[in-house]
Amino acid sequence: MATVNRKWTDGMLHTEDWWAVWLGLLMFGAGLLSIWGVDLVGWMAKTKTWEWGKLWSDPSFNTLLAAAHGKAGNAYEGMGGLGSLLVTYMVFTVLTCIGAYFQKLDVKKFFMGWTCIFFITWGAWIIGHEAHFKALKTGQSITQSEIYGDNVYCTTKVNKCSAQINKALTGMGVNVLAGDVPTKEQAAQAIAKSKNSIHMSWGLQLGGGFSYMLALAVGLLIGNLFKGFANFLREGAKPEWFIKTAIVYLGIKLGLMSMKAAGFALELALAGAAACFVAYLLFWPIVYAMGRKLFKLRRDASAVLSSGISICGVSASIATAGAIRAKPILPIAVSMLIVVFAMVELVVLPTFYAAVAPEAPIVNGAAMGMTVKTDGADAAAGAILDEMMVANHYRTTGETWEADWILSAAILTKIWIDVFIGVWAFVLALIWVYKVERKPGQAHVGASEIWFRFPKFVIGYFIAWLTYVAIAVWFPDAIKAASSGAGVVQSPMRKMMFMLTFVAIGVITDFAKLKGMGRLTALYAIALFVVIAPIAYFVAWIFHRGMLPPLAAG
Amino acid sequence: MKADVELSLVHDGENWIARGGAVVAVGETLHEVDESVTHALRDSGVFPMGSSVTVFMGFDFDTIPTWLRQYHTHYFNRYITVDL
Repeated sequence: MATVNRKWTDGMLHTEDWWAVWLGLLMFGAGLLSIWGVDLVGWMAKTKTWEWGKLWSDPSFNTLLAAAHGKAGNAYEGMGGLGSLLVTYMVFTVLTCIGAYFQKLDVKKFFMGWTCIFFITWGAWIIGHEAHFKALKTGQSITQSEIYGDNVYCTTKVNKCSAQINKALTGMGVNVLAGDVPTKEQAAQAIAKSKNSIHMSWGLQLGGGFSYMLALAVGLLIGNLFKGFANFLREGAKPEWFIKTAIVYLGIKLGLMSMKAAGFALELALAGAAACFVAYLLFWPIVYAMGRKLFKLRRDASAVLSSGISICGVSASIATAGAIRAKPILPIAVSMLIVVFAMVELVVLPTFYAAVAPEAPIVNGAAMGMTVKTDGADAAAGAILDEMMVANHYRTTGETWEADWILSAAILTKIWIDVFIGVWAFVLALIWVYKVERKPGQAHVGASEIWFRFPKFVIGYFIAWLTYVAIAVWFPDAIKAASSGAGVVQSPMRKMMFMLTFVAIGVITDFAKLKGMGRLTALYAIALFVVIAPIAYFVAWIFHRGMLPPLAAG
Repeated sequence: MKADVELSLVHDGENWIARGGAVVAVGETLHEVDESVTHALRDSGVFPMGSSVTVFMGFDFDTIPTWLRQYHTHYFNRYITVDL
């Protein structure tokens, strides 16, 4: 039976976009129950930072993993690391397979692919949490290494380690916050008492970003060197579904962050919208003119490619092709190009921005959102950039930026772009039908096209965000209880969806597909790196300059 | 918008094809499809000659490759008015 969007409710059960909303809001609702003392999400597994030597001497899953039970009810306190991982697998397998069924995927193939991707993801995530890769030095180790030694690392957030060490010193009568200076012996005792501080002879201090990069590398390795296996996994590799679900969970995170810094969150959202609007008006005409004048492309090819490169990748190229009634083969060819280039951007840009502009985190995040095509690649690049920049800033200054603001900047600009796609495609359809290809007895363009092209996961994102803002405004006494369940959904659950995206996006990226794309590839590369990236950065700088993430509470 | 006739639209690599009930219209361009629809409706005799018929054509998104459907969920719908 044909799938045609006719009514506004069409697609609610069979598109991954809506299924991101359902999966997102289901867990959002389950997390929200912590307000009433019910913990429905505490079974979720979470990774722990572990050290190879300790695991060797005491091999146990509990060294690697734990249940993320919140404070509500402590219902899952006795659940071990392996148990929580298996429950996590079962819950998400059931939910995603139900989604796959309604999306008309081959459920058996999806199940097999999903299962492999799930365990590959968790393998990469656990390895990425080995302390030599991930752990950062404690603040004391950076700023007062002559007293504490420069080999003290922290297996949790560094501000927690600092607080633990300072508390232990206070217990010894040394109040460092009042200016007391401990002896080396006292410092050593305090470090020993801090349960999250460890000594290591070396450490790369890559933070959580290493897990992401490892997952991506594993995915790319499979996608490009083990193509038979990649084909086997393909039905379960749905990076856009995974990332859109993660973005709904990120709405919860933004809600929690808004509770602490409402003004900054609002400023970020408005600046992102304004930047996207300006960028739209600059990108599209420039790339379209390049396609027509320099590369002599046909009008329809130039329009589809312009949207793909300058707006939001695959989604925009399909929307534009539909709007101008192009043959479907055109957006399919352009989409192959976009998916591969998005991977190149994902690999190159976070490192480049972090190195070139280490003091402009929010500008970097917003520029990422406007440059990297596809939601999955953008969110992935934003997550890597966030981890990398927070860790770099801490290493060089000893100051800790609150995590996820840079990622939020990348996501917010992307979300505005996604929202504008429907409107832009509608305008383009009007121009094409009534001006470019004007015919007697011509067709009409329905305004419902805007709704059909609207990214539905954005609805889930805003519901999650605004619900937590509403709790903060109208029910401030419930904030603590609400944060308990929300913490599980927005942290380990969201990060798992990010990690799944990294592996899946690598699996479906085959660089060999660039062969034979000729002029399109050349135009894409030139437009991206010569036009889009510099203009995006300039526009992001105009609207976000001077914005810095709040400092993490000590 | 209410339509008198609803058709699903696909592209087979060479031609656009609109189908629905007894109507099958084929054309290299959408304009040719519209002409073909008009002929098909005239031949069908369902609507009286001289009447004005609104035709809805919705693109069948199932014909887009599976891997691509996760990025976007809609191609296009169009309405035409046919004078018989």
